[in-house]
Amino acid sequence: MSQTNSGKDSQASEAKKAISLPISRVRLIMKSSPDVSSINQDALFLTTKATELFVQHLALTSFNNRSQTEANTLNYSDLAKTAEESDTFHFLTDILPKKILAQDYLKTLEQMQDEDSDF
Amino acid sequence: MDGDSSTTDASQLGMTGEYMASSHYVLHPQDDDGEENMNDHEDSGTKENYREQDIYLPIANVARIMKNAVPQTGKIAKDAKECVQECVSEFISFITSEASERCHQEKRKTINGEDILFAMSTLGFDMYVDPLKLYLQKFREAMKGEKGMPGVAVGESLGEDLTDDGFANPLPAGIITADGQQQNVMVYTTTAYPQVQPPVVI
Repeated sequence: MSQTNSGKDSQASEAKKAISLPISRVRLIMKSSPDVSSINQDALFLTTKATELFVQHLALTSFNNRSQTEANTLNYSDLAKTAEESDTFHFLTDILPKKILAQDYLKTLEQMQDEDSDF
Repeated sequence: MDGDSSTTDASQLGMTGEYMASSHYVLHPQDDDGEENMNDHEDSGTKENYREQDIYLPIANVARIMKNAVPQTGKIAKDAKECVQECVSEFISFITSEASERCHQEKRKTINGEDILFAMSTLGFDMYVDPLKLYLQKFREAMKGEKGMPGVAVGESLGEDLTDDGFANPLPAGIITADGQQQNVMVYTTTAYPQVQPPVVI
């Protein structure tokens, strides 16, 4: 019988190409959650695919939202800003603290201390 | 102080907790974000939220997806890539724990596709659900069409995992004999490792 699998092979290779993240690593991360015993194949695939969508979504949203529009570069601060302003990405605020320069912080601190000393 | 130049530990900054409570700040002695090693969690105990998992997806993969998502002329800073790498692990854990909870509520032990999709909906990623269902459909069709056993890799990274998890559903295995005939055999498994039939060679 001649190879009738060529159509299915291209479907399979499409499925291969459709995933650009290592599923084994995704599984490892999922397993590190407490009380997770086993994960079915579908769940693993869906999570991996969803993660890809998430990266695209976060990157594009942050890029479009960026504070320095002329620079054309996506920075850490753009991501932190998006996490704070967006409902969807708000769960990231704990791991995306806003960064400020030490000198700015110390300046703010001084101002606060000055205000206190006024009392 | 540790090698890491940033800290949110109030005592190290000589501050009382009050100043830190209103928002999170990470201090940098210089304006050079590129130096910040986002993967270093050895001192994670000093951060306000201690996270146990330090497992990330490879940065090259993450960076590639990001690059393809932004406009062609756009660039991505190194610390942004590292940051998204961490966000990704957070996202996976976020979804997984929600799905796991639902699974437990329904007295099941294996997280299935429905649990994941439900978790996405609940957590505000509703917009992913429909595209994901489509991808899943394609994936399933591709898996059915693959000759050989379900344990055979569709993509190289898939194969190593499929043998580890218990299959919740029986999968048909297509077995091609030497004369090109295809036989379909149902592979059932109730153990952690699927019982796989070797291909028949005449």
